[in-house]
Amino acid sequence: MLARKIIIDPITRVEGHGKVTIKLDENGMVNDAFLHIVEFRGFEKFIQGHPYWEAPVLVQRLCGICPVSHHLAAAKAIDQLVGIDPENLSPTATKLRKLLHFGQVFQSHALHFFYLASPDLLFGIDAPAEKRNVIAVAATNRELAKKGILMRKFGQEIIKALAGKKIHGILAVPGGVHKTFKAEERAYFLDGMLIPNVDTMIAWSKEMVDFIKNYYLENASWIDNFAAFPSNHLSLVRKETGAFELYDGRLRSVDFEGNELLNIADVDYRDHFKEAVEPWSYLKFPYMTKYGRENGWNRVGPLARLNTCAYMGTPLAEKERQIFKEYTHNKPNNMTMHTHWARLIELLYSAEAMKEFLLDDTLMNNDLVRKGTPRQKGIGIIEAPRGTLIHEYHTDAKGLITKCNLIVSTTHNNEAMNRGVRVVAKSVLNNKPEITEPMLNQIEIAIRANDPCLSCATHALGEMPLIVQLEDAYGNIIDEKIR
Amino acid sequence: MKKLDDTLVIGIGNNTRQDDGLGWNFLELLENEGFNADNLLQKYQLMVEDSELISAYKTVIFIDACKSELKIGFSFEHLNPAEEVSFSTHSVPPNQILNLCKTIYTKNPKAYLIKIQGYNWDIGIGLSEPAKTNLNNAFTYFIENFFR
Repeated sequence: MLARKIIIDPITRVEGHGKVTIKLDENGMVNDAFLHIVEFRGFEKFIQGHPYWEAPVLVQRLCGICPVSHHLAAAKAIDQLVGIDPENLSPTATKLRKLLHFGQVFQSHALHFFYLASPDLLFGIDAPAEKRNVIAVAATNRELAKKGILMRKFGQEIIKALAGKKIHGILAVPGGVHKTFKAEERAYFLDGMLIPNVDTMIAWSKEMVDFIKNYYLENASWIDNFAAFPSNHLSLVRKETGAFELYDGRLRSVDFEGNELLNIADVDYRDHFKEAVEPWSYLKFPYMTKYGRENGWNRVGPLARLNTCAYMGTPLAEKERQIFKEYTHNKPNNMTMHTHWARLIELLYSAEAMKEFLLDDTLMNNDLVRKGTPRQKGIGIIEAPRGTLIHEYHTDAKGLITKCNLIVSTTHNNEAMNRGVRVVAKSVLNNKPEITEPMLNQIEIAIRANDPCLSCATHALGEMPLIVQLEDAYGNIIDEKIR
Repeated sequence: MKKLDDTLVIGIGNNTRQDDGLGWNFLELLENEGFNADNLLQKYQLMVEDSELISAYKTVIFIDACKSELKIGFSFEHLNPAEEVSFSTHSVPPNQILNLCKTIYTKNPKAYLIKIQGYNWDIGIGLSEPAKTNLNNAFTYFIENFFR
């Protein structure tokens, strides 16, 4: 038997494009597996020479799915360029930015669950490919589909109300925000006249958490073991308390047993992280310098956030977090598929947090922008839906950007996704006489759990086939599937 | 003002990626022609919730850039709901949105797809010259034929 290479290109139901190569040896055993990120965006170079105040607008073009996250991370960095640290932003500006962020997290998590994850959970990983999609979900679970769409719409409407439009709008300006929240805008989300109100969003989020808890109990054997592997976990936590935090805090990392590896001011990240490169991927591999490339990598995102935080600041989500923690006897949860559970607890948190802010009258104050002494370096770190997002900018004396460094959530998860692919490949493809479509889907499920955003901006018609190729040791294609 | 009434026109694309902005440019031409902007919608990509949006209209027209070669630089076709499954939320095809609309909201708006051939897709603002020609030809065809 010739050694073979299996290629899955592009990966289905992730944001953007990627490719998986699985190398089999001459005995049909998995030798190695790689997740390649084959797109090159070049934004860090592209933005050089632009005035700093353009950054929060330009960087949104990194992605059509999470532009708000890039907008806010860049805004936090640009605040520092005008001499304003997060604690010196006006309370109203901070709250408006946070509400925007919660809207973004809410819509993103709703989209992921309904559109990307639910087909696998509802129909099973062995279901025919033509059934594992959102249309089948809509056909068999119309109410779930409607709720999924209305939840995403609610988050998008929050974004639109604050930033002017659902995608690539603008709220933040250097040192604050450019608009306040009007009473009639707030009423739209509270009175339930035109769209289901925020209380309905909380109720539906709770329903989804209950659904996934029950599903996990019934399917514990594969959910707990599928693509599970020990890892470190990284996220922001609230400065004073260590609580769950999405907008501003300290960077905390714990290992697979819960030992603290890192607890630093976010702006000091450069002193503690490096990025490795591999010749087969454009995506770098960040790691904590102190622990080295092999042991210093982290998972980020919902699973990591629930592993690093001390508690969550809203009542229903905190109750669910405690149940989540009890499942692993208060130790970190290293089960990849539990990321879906963690994501839905965050969905609930975001809904509760949106309500809290929507009822806060100070959101309608007019203290929106502050100024300090200009600086030439700014670092903004937030927790995007998919995990820790880092933006760093340097400027010259004229305020033109001379250097930019972006570490996006999916980059942090690069090593974790590669490990997940290897774990699953070895469990489902080793020594099998035939490579079936459900087997390949399982590889993709391991990646999808991380909700990677491989980011694309061009999406003209006529693109994006799925091609699966088998190659022998000499690069000859011995089988090919297109779907 | 020329009213589009129960028709929604959706331009899909990204005007910071050169010819990927063709869909948006088409909308600008419509607005310049006097059509009511309320019924013209710019989108970076179609998303699942657009199925709810289009359920409120009798007619929907999708306009997008196309990398494939088209005989006269553009095409105008009638669309039906399809079972086609997208590989990414970045690229939900129009006929899948129609399918979701039909499945979830039991509405079946009349739908058309205008493809306009583009050539350059790098980061940058502005259409290539051949893309501009295709855009103008597609627009002229649309104005002369669609409202007859």
